[in-house]
Amino acid sequence: MDFTLSNEQRAWQMTARKFAEEEIRPISLARDAIADARETFDWDIIKKGSKLGLRTLAVPKQWGGHGTDFVTQALVMSELARADSAISKTFSQCWKWSHLIAATCTDEQKRRFLTPFLEDDTFLLGKGITEPGAGSDNRLPPDDPKAGLKLRAERNGDEWILNGEKCFIANGSVGKLFFIDARTDPHVPLRQGTIMFLVPRDTPGFRIGKVFNKSGWRFYQNAEMIFENARVPHANVVGPVNGSDLKTTQAGDRTGGDLFGDLELAANALGVCDDACGMSIALARTQQQGGRLLFDQQLVQLKLNRMYCLTEALRSYVMRIAWEHDHKVSSANAGLCMNFSTDVIQEVTEINLELHAGAGVLDAWADKLVRDAMIWSHLAGDTVQRMKPTRRLAREMP
Amino acid sequence: MYNLRLTPEQLEIRDTVREFVARKIKPAALRPERLEAAEQPLLVDVLDEASQLGLRALALSEVAGGAGADSLTSCIVSEELAAGDPAIAAVLGETWTLAHILFDRLMTPGQRERLLPPFLADERCHIALAREEPGRDGSLGSHYHQPGHNDPAFTTMAIRAGEGWIINGLKHEVVNASFAQLFVVAAATAAGGTSAMLVPRDTPGLTANESGPATRRRHGACGQILFKDCHVPAENLLEPEGQSKLGREIARQIPQQLAIQLGIGRAAYEAALDYSQIRVQGGRPIIEHQAIGAKLADVATRLATARSIIWQAAWASDHPEAFADRSLPDLPLASIAKVFASEAIYHATKDAAECFGAMGVMRDMPLAKYVHDALICLHSGEANTDTRLRIAEAIAGHRRADACAVLAAE
Repeated sequence: MDFTLSNEQRAWQMTARKFAEEEIRPISLARDAIADARETFDWDIIKKGSKLGLRTLAVPKQWGGHGTDFVTQALVMSELARADSAISKTFSQCWKWSHLIAATCTDEQKRRFLTPFLEDDTFLLGKGITEPGAGSDNRLPPDDPKAGLKLRAERNGDEWILNGEKCFIANGSVGKLFFIDARTDPHVPLRQGTIMFLVPRDTPGFRIGKVFNKSGWRFYQNAEMIFENARVPHANVVGPVNGSDLKTTQAGDRTGGDLFGDLELAANALGVCDDACGMSIALARTQQQGGRLLFDQQLVQLKLNRMYCLTEALRSYVMRIAWEHDHKVSSANAGLCMNFSTDVIQEVTEINLELHAGAGVLDAWADKLVRDAMIWSHLAGDTVQRMKPTRRLAREMP
Repeated sequence: MYNLRLTPEQLEIRDTVREFVARKIKPAALRPERLEAAEQPLLVDVLDEASQLGLRALALSEVAGGAGADSLTSCIVSEELAAGDPAIAAVLGETWTLAHILFDRLMTPGQRERLLPPFLADERCHIALAREEPGRDGSLGSHYHQPGHNDPAFTTMAIRAGEGWIINGLKHEVVNASFAQLFVVAAATAAGGTSAMLVPRDTPGLTANESGPATRRRHGACGQILFKDCHVPAENLLEPEGQSKLGREIARQIPQQLAIQLGIGRAAYEAALDYSQIRVQGGRPIIEHQAIGAKLADVATRLATARSIIWQAAWASDHPEAFADRSLPDLPLASIAKVFASEAIYHATKDAAECFGAMGVMRDMPLAKYVHDALICLHSGEANTDTRLRIAEAIAGHRRADACAVLAAE
């Protein structure tokens, strides 16, 4: 086993660390404190990060991107998340869908969409799956045709007409291009009657509704999408018609669009945990209580011990998953790691807040980390997300 | 006699308050526009209506003109109010607790005669306790099982000046800071120990600032009070100089503060229970899925267990003789209740929120508020790390003269 990083991996890590410390950290708390969910976003930080390559990191070299490996991506995500989890996620959301483009789009589509994506520092990507009545039903679809997403797609010559709505869609209010899952046949189960489309922001009949006002990840823009006779050319259909579930079963490189998302949340959580550990140990080593350092107390040492145990275990798991992705080893582990990251990020940030509050330190940053960590409950650690890898584990047993 | 039956009066007041909360507080407190705003100002109209129901004087004795509620009844009412809005529960609870402690227990007849009539006459007259100070390190931590002192003197000083006192100092985390009409202030004097002063709001030299949301650590219009050459007459000294028992009196009221958390947890639980019977995923209402059913069972278990220990601590505070006759164990029940309930209820609200999926973290939905409210409670007042150490000292028989979390038997 060799845990050393290559020079290239180390260079990306250092670039991300420097950018995170010098550019992201100074704005993080101020963006978080903005009450209007639509106003928390900051284009300046996106442009600066984009110029460093942080937006296009995952686009394959042959298409003009940086073609970084998964180990690099995991390192960069956690470095950025150390300064702001939501800003890190805004960048990596673009990598997630550039993986999907690379894995599933035709060369013609890649030319059409990757070229502007690479050229424009403000070109962000997103994917619309969730709808008001369909969240976990899309993740673990039952056979019932009534379950799952309802957004309707009907063929009209060379075009498809889309009607319906999506909610909570990441980068929704700031993205320029979206993958959109839509139903062609409401009478068959989800997996059989669904198409994935590429929908540019300026598609006629497609608009963005409200931006959801979350308690954590406030920088990250989750928006409503409304389709009223939106006209999408047939050339924008990704994969075969009704191929459905492309991102998991027919995408070729299975470590692309699908499993990246699991690694992504785990790597992001790792950065937040590193930040929380750093805060807590700095507090313990500087704050006095009863004439002695906080660190001198057994209970403080035991809390720090718990934080570091969990964080370092998560680091090992995250780096192993990244390495496995790079070596085309696919297993339930990415999902399990994502589930584990939920438990870790929440416990570690909660202990950090407890240590600060216990020392009488009102720390808005510690409070923010707990709110950011709360997001994992429904993205990475809800019961459906936990059953998915478990079922895969059982399925793949010899 | 072991008896878990509530009296007809307790049942009646619970139903009255529950109905008031459903009709008046919830619709106002849970409006999406209110929840989404950066700050949630106190619902003053609702507070006034609650005061008109007599809740402001809930624990004040009947002789003095209140409802004479004991600690258990106060817990029942606090839980109901907090299920609607913990700020309203905290404001009223602070006032009725202090009204009982001051008017019924600590004031001289002369002080009562002077200050009780204006309190009763004005429905907007609230009381605040100015005790905590920024930087005052009252935690047990390093002093655990050491003979030393862990209750440092207050930096707020009252200096004798002619017939009266001049107070200087800064207090923070004061519930009701921004609108209380009467403050009771813990201060040090030349005599040593802690003295308590009664300071009406309009006394020159007293300034109140409400804390911003980022630094709010307690429910209930919490803020800072600055005393700058604040002159109070000699007759406003509560209890003999340097011998204030206020801390001990306040410690006896812990159960009803915990009941506020219970109300928050119950509101989250009821919302999750309703939603999980309506929301269909996987072809069935989500409560019919084992994963959600078991989660809600855990929430119900945590709340029921927390309520049992909170009520036991409250009942113990109402019946000190029950320790003497060995009906109750010789344990610091209020501290035990605090550690268990604050952690259990925080976890319960998180689990309840998870049943809502992404809607559980949206600011315009009540669940994110419940989680946030429970988190504030978890980190209000003494840290649980310290409370655990106090329990540990108590069960080991380590006695402290200055301990706030005394054995219930004491």
